[in-house]
Amino acid sequence: MKRTAWKICFLLTGSLVLFAAGCTKNTAAKNTGKSGTDTGVADPFMKFDHVVEVHIGQMAYPTLPFPQGDTNENNVYTRYLLDNFNIKIVVDWSAATGNDYSQKVNMCIASNTLPDGMQCGRKEMLAAAKSGMLYDFTDLFPKYASPQVKAIMDSGDGSAYTYSMYNGRQMCMVGVDVAASGESMVNVRKDWLDKYGLAEPETLDDIEHIAKVFKEKKPAGSATIPIAGPDKNNSLYTNFLSAGVANCGFEPVFAAYDAYPGYWIKDSDGTYVYGTNTANSRKAFARLAKWYKEGLIDPEMGVRDSSDEEINAGHVGMYFCAWWKIGYGSVDAYRNDPHADWQSYIVRTDDGKWNTREQCPVASYIIFNKNVSDDVAKAGIIINNIWVRDENVLTTKYGKGTSIYWYPLRNSMGALNECEVTYENLMQVLNGEKTAEDFNETGSAFKLLYNDCLSLKDGIKGYKQGSNELSIENFNIDGSNFPRLYSILAGVKPSANARPDKSVYSGCYSQTPAMEIKWPNLETAEKEIGLRIVTGKDDISAFDAYVKRWNSEGGQEITKEVRTLSK
Amino acid sequence: MKKRTSLSVETHYFFMCIPGLLWLILFSIVPLFGIVIAFENYNPGLGYWKSAFVGLENFKYLFSLSDAARVIKNTIIIAGWKIVLNIIVPLIFALLLNEVVNLRFKKAIQTIVYLPHFLSWVILASIILRIFSLDGIVNQVVSLFGGKPVIWFSESKYFRQLAIGTDVWKEFGFNAVIYIAALTGIDPNLYEASSIDGLGHWGQVWHITIPGIMSTIVLMTVLGLGNALNAGFDQIFNMYNPMVYSTGDILDTWVYRIGLVNLQFSLATTAGLFKSVISFLLITVSYWCAWKFADYKIF
Repeated sequence: MKRTAWKICFLLTGSLVLFAAGCTKNTAAKNTGKSGTDTGVADPFMKFDHVVEVHIGQMAYPTLPFPQGDTNENNVYTRYLLDNFNIKIVVDWSAATGNDYSQKVNMCIASNTLPDGMQCGRKEMLAAAKSGMLYDFTDLFPKYASPQVKAIMDSGDGSAYTYSMYNGRQMCMVGVDVAASGESMVNVRKDWLDKYGLAEPETLDDIEHIAKVFKEKKPAGSATIPIAGPDKNNSLYTNFLSAGVANCGFEPVFAAYDAYPGYWIKDSDGTYVYGTNTANSRKAFARLAKWYKEGLIDPEMGVRDSSDEEINAGHVGMYFCAWWKIGYGSVDAYRNDPHADWQSYIVRTDDGKWNTREQCPVASYIIFNKNVSDDVAKAGIIINNIWVRDENVLTTKYGKGTSIYWYPLRNSMGALNECEVTYENLMQVLNGEKTAEDFNETGSAFKLLYNDCLSLKDGIKGYKQGSNELSIENFNIDGSNFPRLYSILAGVKPSANARPDKSVYSGCYSQTPAMEIKWPNLETAEKEIGLRIVTGKDDISAFDAYVKRWNSEGGQEITKEVRTLSK
Repeated sequence: MKKRTSLSVETHYFFMCIPGLLWLILFSIVPLFGIVIAFENYNPGLGYWKSAFVGLENFKYLFSLSDAARVIKNTIIIAGWKIVLNIIVPLIFALLLNEVVNLRFKKAIQTIVYLPHFLSWVILASIILRIFSLDGIVNQVVSLFGGKPVIWFSESKYFRQLAIGTDVWKEFGFNAVIYIAALTGIDPNLYEASSIDGLGHWGQVWHITIPGIMSTIVLMTVLGLGNALNAGFDQIFNMYNPMVYSTGDILDTWVYRIGLVNLQFSLATTAGLFKSVISFLLITVSYWCAWKFADYKIF
């Protein structure tokens, strides 16, 4: 009773606040309208002739503190925006990344109290667009987006624009993520492999063998976890609605069985089926259950507060994730143990093929309240332009010690192949085939490349030219660009040196009408059965009962919709 | 003259009521209008007035879900046990504490046991998760006695017991305060008279102490029944995981996942409304029972 009351009350007070906010904003729009910044030719990096306030909802990172004295409203990024562009960031609210943040975003949509701008996921963007809450960027975006941003939007098949549309209008700014973020690899403690004379893994059998050795020899003592699993905030695999891969999930294990759970995939006769419910997924589930039973996977997976804590504490031997994880994603691991030599490898099928899922190229969305003035919307586009152009200057020159994640309204913007291109070029510089100055060009879609090359000088030590081998010992872990250099040179290495034999895209990356109402129930069942089978609570035979139930409770209807949609 | 004084005293009390009444109106009465969401296909951009009216569509769909039965069952079991144990355990504790002679010791115990009440579930849940983790204290004790360590919070067969047990542990000290207060209100002369009449210690508890606080027990039970469908969102949400959905998923967490995670506002409101209606019926019935059987009326 109490909770319903609260919720309804939120909605109600929310609408009051909005009413009030709506009033003030309209007057603000009138005032700024007079200053007339629209002179026909748009400058993607123009400085406003008066201060434009942008009220944002901010994703907060409790584990990434600011340097002394800085706050989320007053830091290297906000000062840069204010001093050079007259854009003042006002943080209306902030919430910790993950569940807290998405809850806050959903609350804003439910109560129709969007701040001027905030980041969100696809589901939220569509819900807000459907409710008519969003600013229409169709006219302003092409005018004010910088050529660099446009180049990134056009990279790949140009589908980025499709994803930013609702009913034919561009209702948001999309973040284009590098393709590598959707490809999960196995990350392994290479120093542990060397310690026991083990070969680098290729197939599931290799991984199983290594895990058995880790379990037996316990390199981290009794706390040793041969293979980490998802913690209670993560899942076994991400589905078609979410970007990226699951942190410590098992996508590569499934892919090695030619299974792609959570994706809409084509079966042998070319029609779409839900990837979780296939015979191949069943086989992979059985394999994972076997590993769990033998103690190779973290016994506390699914219950643990944070698997990252275990990785950073040096207890973990292997886990699955994408390129960014062993650098950006686990900097503390190297602070705790400077010799923890994490390396990434492709997981292949028994006959040596690399199958992998590919994510939707658009990973994040920036939405603006429909009531904002055009100036605020322009500021939003410009904030995005600045990030793409100046990320390297900001992070290494001014922003030392401030994580890139704190940039206001940050949309991850990278050309689809940025990771691989960066890796190849950095290796060429390291091998003495090119110099950093070869990449000193402005306006390139590979906006970080020049700075990355420059940072090699004091970021890498003792590299033997031509060997293409880099271990943690070659990195300066206190260097300002260490997270990125390690992510690229170690994390991207496998995908830069091989092409997938089979790339699998989902038949769709958003909800169909039947899904809107029926998906929560099906997703609950899917998550529950997956974890229960892997952890041995249910026998693999329970999988068949789940598939039956899934089909009867709306899955069949949804599948039909997906089939017509992707025809 | 006399009348005037009493009126001015009353006015004083009415003023003291204002904050409480405002709170009630703002947070409990006004939001009732939001119930209309349950009968609409709610679109927050359009608001209550313009969203499409769908009648009982949401209710039909809600009860067609196989999850609904499971969630309601879990809620009733967890909440039911919590109500019963949250009356019995504090009562027994209060009676025991009442027998302690050393006043200092008594006060110290009372303070210590009610401390957990002031900790939020967000904090307490992660402490409890640690205590029951694979290398937590509980499993260390288990293996000391030769048992096999268990990952308690991944086992659906233990989840309800753990949820109920930890809730009772957290609240019994605080709930006992009311009984302790009631116990001090019993006339000591009764005890003296009864011991002169030859009544033993147990007899005193049974014939004087219990009847003396009976009205408090009834009151607490009646108030507790209103929570029959409140299994404790804060606690369950911070403790559960998909592996224990089968025994641990309750109405509130389900509503949270539908409404806030999946943005199905109408369906979430429908489930919430359903819960409120049942709770309302239970309160009415329990109020009637208290009046009928214990001759007790709150109003």
